[in-house]
Amino acid sequence: MDERPISLPLKLLALTMFVFLLAPLLVVLPISFSGDNYMIFPPTSWSTRWYGAIFTDAKMTSAFSSSLALASVVTLLSLAIGLPAAYALVRLKPPGAAALSSFFTAPLLLPTIVLGLAILIVFSVYGLLGTFQGLIAAHLVVTLPYAIRVLSTALSTLPITFEEAAASLGASPMTVFRRVTLPMMRSGIIGTTALCFLVSFDEVVLSLFLTGPRLTTLPVAMFHRVEQQADPMVASLSVLLVALTLAVVLIVDRTSGLARTFVK
Amino acid sequence: MTATPADGDDQPRRLPLVVVLLLPIALVNALGFVVPTLNLLRMSFFEAQGTGAMQEVFTLATWQKVFTDSFYAELILNSISTSFLITVLTLLCSYPIALYLHRSSGLWRSVLLVLVIAPLLTSAVVRTYGWIVILFENGLINNALAAVGIGRVRMIFNKTGVTIGLTEILMPYMILALMAGFGKLDARIEEAAASLGASPMRVFRHIVLPLTLPGIALGSLLCFVLAVSSFITPKLLGGGRVFLLATEIYDQAIVTLNWPVASSLSILILLIFGTALLLYTRALNAAT
Amino acid sequence: MSNQESGAGGKSGDAFLSLRGLTKRYGDFLAVDHMNLEVPKGELVAFLGPSGCGKTTSLRMIAGLTPQSEGRIIVGGDDLTGVPTYKRDMGLVFQSYALFPHMSVERNIGFGLEMRGIARDEFANRVRDAVALVHLTGMEKRRPAQLSGGQQQRVALARALVIRPAILLLDEPLSNLDAKLRDEMRNEIRDIQKRLGITAVFVTHDQSEALTMCDKVVVMNHGRLEQVGAPTELYEQPRTAFVAGFVGRMSRIRAMARNGSTAFAGQRLPVPAGLDGPIDIMIRPHRIAIGPVVSEETRHQVTGTIVRTVFVGDILQYDVDVAGQIVSVELSTRGNESLLKPGAPVSLSWGPRDVYVFGAAP
Repeated sequence: MDERPISLPLKLLALTMFVFLLAPLLVVLPISFSGDNYMIFPPTSWSTRWYGAIFTDAKMTSAFSSSLALASVVTLLSLAIGLPAAYALVRLKPPGAAALSSFFTAPLLLPTIVLGLAILIVFSVYGLLGTFQGLIAAHLVVTLPYAIRVLSTALSTLPITFEEAAASLGASPMTVFRRVTLPMMRSGIIGTTALCFLVSFDEVVLSLFLTGPRLTTLPVAMFHRVEQQADPMVASLSVLLVALTLAVVLIVDRTSGLARTFVK
Repeated sequence: MTATPADGDDQPRRLPLVVVLLLPIALVNALGFVVPTLNLLRMSFFEAQGTGAMQEVFTLATWQKVFTDSFYAELILNSISTSFLITVLTLLCSYPIALYLHRSSGLWRSVLLVLVIAPLLTSAVVRTYGWIVILFENGLINNALAAVGIGRVRMIFNKTGVTIGLTEILMPYMILALMAGFGKLDARIEEAAASLGASPMRVFRHIVLPLTLPGIALGSLLCFVLAVSSFITPKLLGGGRVFLLATEIYDQAIVTLNWPVASSLSILILLIFGTALLLYTRALNAAT
Repeated sequence: MSNQESGAGGKSGDAFLSLRGLTKRYGDFLAVDHMNLEVPKGELVAFLGPSGCGKTTSLRMIAGLTPQSEGRIIVGGDDLTGVPTYKRDMGLVFQSYALFPHMSVERNIGFGLEMRGIARDEFANRVRDAVALVHLTGMEKRRPAQLSGGQQQRVALARALVIRPAILLLDEPLSNLDAKLRDEMRNEIRDIQKRLGITAVFVTHDQSEALTMCDKVVVMNHGRLEQVGAPTELYEQPRTAFVAGFVGRMSRIRAMARNGSTAFAGQRLPVPAGLDGPIDIMIRPHRIAIGPVVSEETRHQVTGTIVRTVFVGDILQYDVDVAGQIVSVELSTRGNESLLKPGAPVSLSWGPRDVYVFGAAP
């Protein structure tokens, strides 16, 4: 682009809007260090007590470990299901591959409130409400489209000649996949892992429909806490969550370049 | 060796393998998406009895209720009009950012882009909570207003709060959609207009705005659709006092246990989606 | 139009690589049309032709990367139909080299040995020998990204050779190299191939490459085998207008044949029996003599006007308008000739044995 100075009015307007855009995230940080018992902004005193409170709150800690376990399992399953599917669609090119690909991405078109209700009704028949398996299944519905997209992109940008070369040297299809295809898809796999993990970890509406008294996830626990007794603990939790997200994003960027993973 | 066109005659040999590889995802999709959605449609044709039990008899009673009861009429109208307002506000707030980003370059641009995308990676609960902190009685704005001498304003647990919060939350989507549609905007075109005597305001009105219309249309569609189906923010910022489609669906499903009504409201959301998409495609075709 | 069978020098029993009726169809399109070929052991054969002629497709079928629609591929007596690529004993060198970027030179070269489960000692020895063979000793630990184009090419070659394949297949391996490197690699590849006595197929669109390197050249066009023969044979005795025009340079004259002869620029020229209708008369540009009129009965002669003079350093090229068609004539420069100018009337002559006449499409 030509180096054109941007007009001052536009600059001011844009930056004002930027502040508006980032306002909630900026506000959450200071209030997480509030020493007050209730939510007051600006806080009257400062302390890290609310961070500490997280770890002593049994409900929160169990919700956190549930979310962690759930996101991990969902991520692993997304890879285990998504990789073969992407391979089939991109390398084996069956008739109607494009239509199938669209079909597998379709769940993202549905608002989670509608999907959540739909799954709730069906799962209630099979006794999957409030179960870990039920949550896994529901999360998979929304993480698999992402997995398929990113993995398909990674695979389709990988020239097939490397796999052909390996085959010509005597590698069976399984060996080719293991020794050549997978290593060369590394950045796509890392990107998929990060994306699926974050999507599952942050997923709240679906989880709202499917959690129960004995099983809850962190976003749901936070939701209820905000609904019932909004206090600085939610802020501390939020800061931790944002830090977690940042960490994941940085790892992905370090290992494979963020833009390259998600943009074709 | 460049890859040759699809080796079609391999298909019969490989089909079993393709089926095996695609089976897991097809299963998840079928059982977790297709079946539930179709069932939703089916459910909307049942009716819930007062006892909470449900008759599995095909009836139009639920649909009748939804279309004739004034509560639901108001609900639907409210949802659509609020979403529309939010879309317009989001557009106004996002356009400057998108234009600024489009015209900037290099490291600064990448940094700003990350800042725009970053909120998308955080949970809606976190962002909504941030707005509660800003808007509520003892929050940022009210405390500032009080300190200056102006009285406190009620901006939370009402439509105002929901509108403000949802506008900001949807901004990243609008910004990205606008930027995608800014492709045709070239600095040289604006310079050409200026050289022909157009003031900056005129350049904007006659050149920039028309050229960015596709992006505006796309972003508006996206925002409207997201606003209409948004749940977390209206529920939390509305405090149970703002009635929109999504919150009503949740309440009917979990609290009242009236699944048929919840289902029909969901189908209604999908119909609204479809209509919006139709209007968008029509507008796009009319423009080209 | 039938395809030629190669029989130059070998009976079918001697052939190491046999292609019988090899065909590849994409819907209605015939990429390779019933190709028959016999290649004796130890020979380097070129598949030569313009892009889209089916040479790469044929090579891919031999490698098993593209399944054939019809026909058989026989190597060392074994019919390879239905045998997957990884079970065929072939060494492939790709145009883009396809070196595994996540492996070092060593591990790239050793990959084929790894697949064959070669014991560690022998593995190390063979890799070392292969590296030395292509003059890359010292570079074993490098990654492909750290190598130049020429070096990558050599790694690709070593990787294909170290497994001691029955057949070496090369798909335009030199096209991505600059001219100087290309000449160098041409000789190296030829030397190695001869030394190891390995049967090889070399795909190229560059006729000088095919002529200088290979024992035999297979000229292909539109999926069909036009002619197979040693380089000199193709050059001196082309069997079709396409081969004549593709191998070396040719001046071409369009004419009509009637009753065994043709008239062109006032001259009567004999025409091989059986040809009638439109024909292509083709003559090597450097076998046309240009100058004053001579009265030799043995030479064909026409007159024309110079249209353009091009000085190419080694060669002086005259484009001459003869009865409305342009005939190019080439002379080696001697340094003392006076250049003929455009507009000058000249006479062109050639010996009856220097001319090739083929039937042309209407």
